[in-house]
Amino acid sequence: MRISFRRGQKRRQALSVVLIEDSPLRHTDPRVKLALSLCTSLMVMLPLRSLIAAIVVYAALLAWARLMPTAARQIWRLRWMLLFLFLIDWLVVSLELAVVITLRLILITGAFALFFATTTPGELRLVLGWLRVPYRYAFSVSLAFQSINLMDEEWRAIIDAQQARGIRPSLRQWRRALDQIRDLVALMVPAIVMTTKRAWAMTEAAYARGFDSPHRRPFQRLRMAAADWAVLAAATAVSALLVIYR
Amino acid sequence: MGNRSVRQGSGVRADAVTFRYPQHDNGLPPTSIQIEPGEVVLVAGPSGSGKSTLARCLTGIIPYLYRGVFSGTVWLDGLLTTDAPMWRIAERAGMVFQNPAAQMLTTSAEEEIVFGLENLGLPEDDVRERLEQSLERFGLLHLRSREPRSLSGGEQQKLALAAVVARRPAVLGLDEPFSMLDSTAALELAAFVGELAGNGAAVVVCEHREEYLQRLPGLRTLRLDGPAHPQQAGASAHDVGGLQDATTGDFTLEIRGLGVELGGRVILRDITADLHGGQVVAIVGRNGVGKTTLLRALVGLQAARGQALIDGAQPSFGMVFQNADTQLFNASVREEILYRIAEPDMRLYAWLIESLGLARYEETPPLLLSEGEKKRVALATVLMRRPRHGVFLDEPALGQDATHKAILMDVTRRLARAGRLVVLTTHDLRLAAQADRLLVLGVDGFVAAGPPAQVLRDPACWGQVGLSVPEWVLGMESK
Repeated sequence: MRISFRRGQKRRQALSVVLIEDSPLRHTDPRVKLALSLCTSLMVMLPLRSLIAAIVVYAALLAWARLMPTAARQIWRLRWMLLFLFLIDWLVVSLELAVVITLRLILITGAFALFFATTTPGELRLVLGWLRVPYRYAFSVSLAFQSINLMDEEWRAIIDAQQARGIRPSLRQWRRALDQIRDLVALMVPAIVMTTKRAWAMTEAAYARGFDSPHRRPFQRLRMAAADWAVLAAATAVSALLVIYR
Repeated sequence: MGNRSVRQGSGVRADAVTFRYPQHDNGLPPTSIQIEPGEVVLVAGPSGSGKSTLARCLTGIIPYLYRGVFSGTVWLDGLLTTDAPMWRIAERAGMVFQNPAAQMLTTSAEEEIVFGLENLGLPEDDVRERLEQSLERFGLLHLRSREPRSLSGGEQQKLALAAVVARRPAVLGLDEPFSMLDSTAALELAAFVGELAGNGAAVVVCEHREEYLQRLPGLRTLRLDGPAHPQQAGASAHDVGGLQDATTGDFTLEIRGLGVELGGRVILRDITADLHGGQVVAIVGRNGVGKTTLLRALVGLQAARGQALIDGAQPSFGMVFQNADTQLFNASVREEILYRIAEPDMRLYAWLIESLGLARYEETPPLLLSEGEKKRVALATVLMRRPRHGVFLDEPALGQDATHKAILMDVTRRLARAGRLVVLTTHDLRLAAQADRLLVLGVDGFVAAGPPAQVLRDPACWGQVGLSVPEWVLGMESK
């Protein structure tokens, strides 16, 4: 793959918050990573024993790619939902189904960790372009992903700013429910205003630099390197083995 | 920069151009102007006078992207802006907007420059050549893979300009380009504007800090009239709305060894100072040196080492943020200022809206006000809660006109007379010169502190932090 991104940047935006620069998959072609994620997510159709094998293989892949902490964080965020579904399935149907459903959800949740943690919005734009998504939409989607971090920062800035004027919203103090709702407005209104303003500023900036030009010619292109083909072949082979010997 | 950095065109001409926004009365009154290639025109005037609107009209963004009532004609390098698609207009004109961070569209500096070049449909080799030229010309080579949001304000402004100039526009619009820059970066930018014009570009600059451009040869100034200025306090200069009851000003904020690390990077190192009640203190320093972080640490919003105490106890300060949008959400200015105050002191309220020029906006939604007015509402919301020791203002004058600055300094002086400590950060050395005390922040802490008249004339400290003190600031301070 030939993209002019460089190594050595400690913190840079990925599709999910922070780019994992030291992952061996960081400079793998994003199409290969997307294929890896899709293959993994298809494994959810396997029966329990094969499913466990698929999870072990995928966990090994994540560990090799230094993405285990990222995937673990994503799964940890869903712990209450997973626990709830596990208990419901166990009580209503059976323990085996509860285990299968929970493992499938874990696999689906972790499946895209490698793509989202090692791919920048710019690379996503290239992948979408390769998939024949019109540039206008590919650009918008990548910009939306890019804005996730910004929204997070703005949200923190709003909370700080409200605290500085003496308002300390806390969703845990249910006793003062009405005040809590009003304080939530104190967060939501600035968030909406700032998001709208930012979206408009970006629109202006994009059009002022010829965003709608019909003559656009992409500078960065995706090209598969030998290592990319090797990763793709290995992923296909492992997936095929798991399906054949399920 | 070589001669090919801009494309020689025929400039821009506006004939009786007007624009009115649908949501408010502000807009552009009938204006005619011609800017020849190689000419720089400074558009000056108070907030709301239509400076930014004119720049957008001259670069074709209005009426293409804005709804409203547009009349008149704008000929842009031989193209009538009302008859052409935006991409064709953008081939001739470039625009750098006020907030550089908000116009970043990609996740690395070089992608940011490449974005505009791709849209020109240039061959790969040309894109590469222009990319390298731009990175080199703007001193961005070492930052090429950095995420734009991680750059300092000055670096972001350079990148925003590089991304536009790389397209070689014949006409260039700059909206408040100096507002977020320290004095050194502002002087560099002013020199570059002159260089661009020297290479044949027609440049229009909307700016409050117009002194930075005054030395450009052949500079022409178009001054727009603004809306009526808000009336200031009718009360006597000593009236502080009852704020004097709370504290005597006989206190010292003792800052000892304050340090902040963020993500493994040292932002502030060993900050030590004594700040006294009853004073207006201005903190200046280069872009990204940590002025905002320091204020956040002092009000307890940022975890820090060291201590900041008054008489051995935690101080109580309010803080007004750089972006007032983060603090405002109510349906009217009155509701905003009185929000969740059980027994509001209406004498203080009356004093605040009078002193801050907000009396006629009491029933207006704060978010519909101008940026300067919003900052004043935000200040009122903080002061209404009677912060015991004073208030911190983060870049309160950013992008604001002289009226706003005058109101701001008047109120801060009254607060100081009422015994409060007012600390403000600013890039505006003219504003800083009006404080009681000036502190210069460098990467290793404060390098100078004292009366502005003394500190401004200490070249060693300014050299140490890499800031320039323009002569007009010294002239003003000596008066």
